[in-house]
Amino acid sequence: MWNWLKHFAKPSELRAAGVLGMNRRNYNIIAKHNSRRLFPLVDDKVKTKELAKQYGINTPGLIGVIAHQYEVKDIFKIIGRRKEFVIKPAQGSGGKGVMVIVGSESGWFVTASRKKVGYKHIYQHISNILSGLYSLGGRYDSAVIEELVHFSDIFKDYSYQGVPDVRLIVYNGYPVMAMTRLPTAESEGRANLHQGAVGVGLDIRTGHALHGVQRNRPIEKHPDTGANLMNIQVPYWKDHLLIGAKAFDMTGLGYLGADIVLDAKRGPMMLELNARPGLAIQIANGCGLARKLKLVEKYYPTNLTAEERVEFVLSGVDFEK
Amino acid sequence: MLKKFASVRFSLSVLLVMSIIFAAYSIYYKTTYWGFNFAPGQNSDVWTIEAHIAFEPTGEPIKVTLTTPQDSNAFKILEENVIADGYKSKKINGEVSQLVLQSPAREKSQDIYYRVMLFDNIDTRGKTKAPSPEKPQKPIFDEQRLAAANQILEIAQKQEGDAVAQIIRLLNLVPADPTVQSYLPLKKTQSDMFEMTKDLLALKGIPARAVRGFRLEENRKSVAPDLMLEAYIDNQWKMYNLTTADKGLPENFAVFQRGGKSLIDVEGGENSSIKFSVLKSVTSSMGLAGKRAQLAGQKSLFDYSIYNLPLAAQNTLKWLSIFPLGILVTVLMRNVVGVQTMGTFTPMLLAMALIKTGFWAGLICFSLIVGVGLLLRFVLSKLNLLLVPRIAAVVIFVILIMQMFTVFGFQFKLNIAQSAVFFPIIIMAWIIERASITWEEDGPLNAGKEIFFSVLVAIVTYFVINDEYIRHVMFAFNELNLVILFAVMLLGTYTGYRLTELKRFQPLKKG
Repeated sequence: MWNWLKHFAKPSELRAAGVLGMNRRNYNIIAKHNSRRLFPLVDDKVKTKELAKQYGINTPGLIGVIAHQYEVKDIFKIIGRRKEFVIKPAQGSGGKGVMVIVGSESGWFVTASRKKVGYKHIYQHISNILSGLYSLGGRYDSAVIEELVHFSDIFKDYSYQGVPDVRLIVYNGYPVMAMTRLPTAESEGRANLHQGAVGVGLDIRTGHALHGVQRNRPIEKHPDTGANLMNIQVPYWKDHLLIGAKAFDMTGLGYLGADIVLDAKRGPMMLELNARPGLAIQIANGCGLARKLKLVEKYYPTNLTAEERVEFVLSGVDFEK
Repeated sequence: MLKKFASVRFSLSVLLVMSIIFAAYSIYYKTTYWGFNFAPGQNSDVWTIEAHIAFEPTGEPIKVTLTTPQDSNAFKILEENVIADGYKSKKINGEVSQLVLQSPAREKSQDIYYRVMLFDNIDTRGKTKAPSPEKPQKPIFDEQRLAAANQILEIAQKQEGDAVAQIIRLLNLVPADPTVQSYLPLKKTQSDMFEMTKDLLALKGIPARAVRGFRLEENRKSVAPDLMLEAYIDNQWKMYNLTTADKGLPENFAVFQRGGKSLIDVEGGENSSIKFSVLKSVTSSMGLAGKRAQLAGQKSLFDYSIYNLPLAAQNTLKWLSIFPLGILVTVLMRNVVGVQTMGTFTPMLLAMALIKTGFWAGLICFSLIVGVGLLLRFVLSKLNLLLVPRIAAVVIFVILIMQMFTVFGFQFKLNIAQSAVFFPIIIMAWIIERASITWEEDGPLNAGKEIFFSVLVAIVTYFVINDEYIRHVMFAFNELNLVILFAVMLLGTYTGYRLTELKRFQPLKKG
């Protein structure tokens, strides 16, 4: 009768594990470290991109921006002869409204999930973006057209369609936790954990796999490709961390999530930043975030440059002992 | 920084405690002075006592003096009026209240009606503090009678109770004590008994007086007032039943008159008679609040309360005063339980609609509107419209669906369909729009989940705010809304785990 209670942890058990809850994240972390006036920097992808350029952070190449309804028909002038591009809402969140075109076949465009769409569908999609369907609070938005990322072969076996990425949690400029998000058939090629993508926690010092989950359940192998998730080793790990550390300098957000993709030719690139990164990363790492944040607050120096901070993280001083 | 947050929580806690104290006092105040009740639909009994005075004029100027009830601890006067054509009436409020009616000489037999409406004050009964009266004058007895009286007083001491009760018990003893039998008149009326007792008490130096009043029972017609005796003992007037010697004011006994003066005095008339009838009616407690407030000398505060507003305005406010509780439920469900809903207050607005439609009728109707709406929305999505015109179209759809349901409901006498109009149109349109987008992006399962959880929270809210008792309390004691305000604000600093997180993060547990 009380068996279902097994699926619940006691609050004391979660506290012992240092799990960060939603309320505490909002009240103690975000409200404290992320001033609201800084949000527009990360909420608008065009702004983020411009800023990133100044700080020497790689981002996917910008093809164009459509800000007004009358410009929608210009989309094909903007993309020219490109057959690969990504359309996303400038103020979208959680991967909503992102359309990935990977090729074209006799007048049709092919999406990442191998669906064929016509130009009307693309017009419609951009219209929807402009009218605020995917933006926070339904504000009028603009559509960003970006170059498609050709993700590194390293991830080929670990991904079903879509683009796998690395999510870093950066606290006071220090990358504290990392995971890679791998699209699956269930998530329809999207890298969102709540839609069924696989999350694999990564060792913050090495970029090596720690622990995998899909829909809250531990998992060892990718459900579609069967590849052993525990063998994942993200290359250019230091560059990943550097993007995260620089993102703090660039935005001033004390608590942020940086989404990074690994392009085969251009290396790690910052896809987007998030001022309210979710808490699923804890499950992917099998480890609570609250304790790590406390360590940063207590012991990590506050006057280092981005490079020094990354070195500090890589040096792996363990303050827990 | 941390200190600052801690102090926010601290000051909110202080405010919450203060608001609770304030509410507690206010509730005490309203129940005491305004007679508010915790239970809804509580009624107070209102007693109407009607005195019919009849007499034959003698040809001289007429002056009728009627002793009338006063506000007492037990009963308060709601209203009193006189029907006496052509009489000049005057009210004298002294130690006893009197109604004086005066008229020039008349010819025909006269009928005067006096009506007073009393309501129960639910207070301490039976003991009336009063200034100490003078020592009673000893009755003038002849020697033989004095001896008998003294003998009675002596025998009486064998009876139970205090001095007064002892005398009353002895006088009423069956079979009668021989001494008493010789002392009392053969045929004894209630007033004879009163006089006897009073004289005997005077002999002992105990002041006593008559109390006339009515046992308030339903529809008593042509009743004579009951006579009780009040004796001044231990610095208090205490009331005694003249037959049973029971102490204290009986339940539902309305005192009409105290003291020696006669109930009615008619000058310029003869063959005067007075008949009383008692009638019970029922008025809601709230309805009497204003009157009670006035009697308690708290009228001005009441004037600025919402209970003094026109009834229509009160009903609107009654409806509004339940909102904070619904909001509290929403806050709890989202921040403490951790349920995700479509739109922050959508569930609360749905719950409000459910109250107006009835639970099942509302749920069925809601499902139908959303179902049909989603169907139409899918057709719409094929047309590739811009966002705002598309939502506008959905709003109009919803209105048309509601119209159709109402018309068909009326034709086929289905109340369910007729309840359609109570759902907030814009909210319904957004639910349909959001659900259809979630459907397209995350599949029907997630869309269904979103709707399900929103409806779930709506149902929880419904059961909290639909309770007649809770609604009454929230309206009658609207200061509770202040408590809710600070409770909600304090919840804004709650940083513990949400209930759903205990499940979500269960794999991480340690210890």
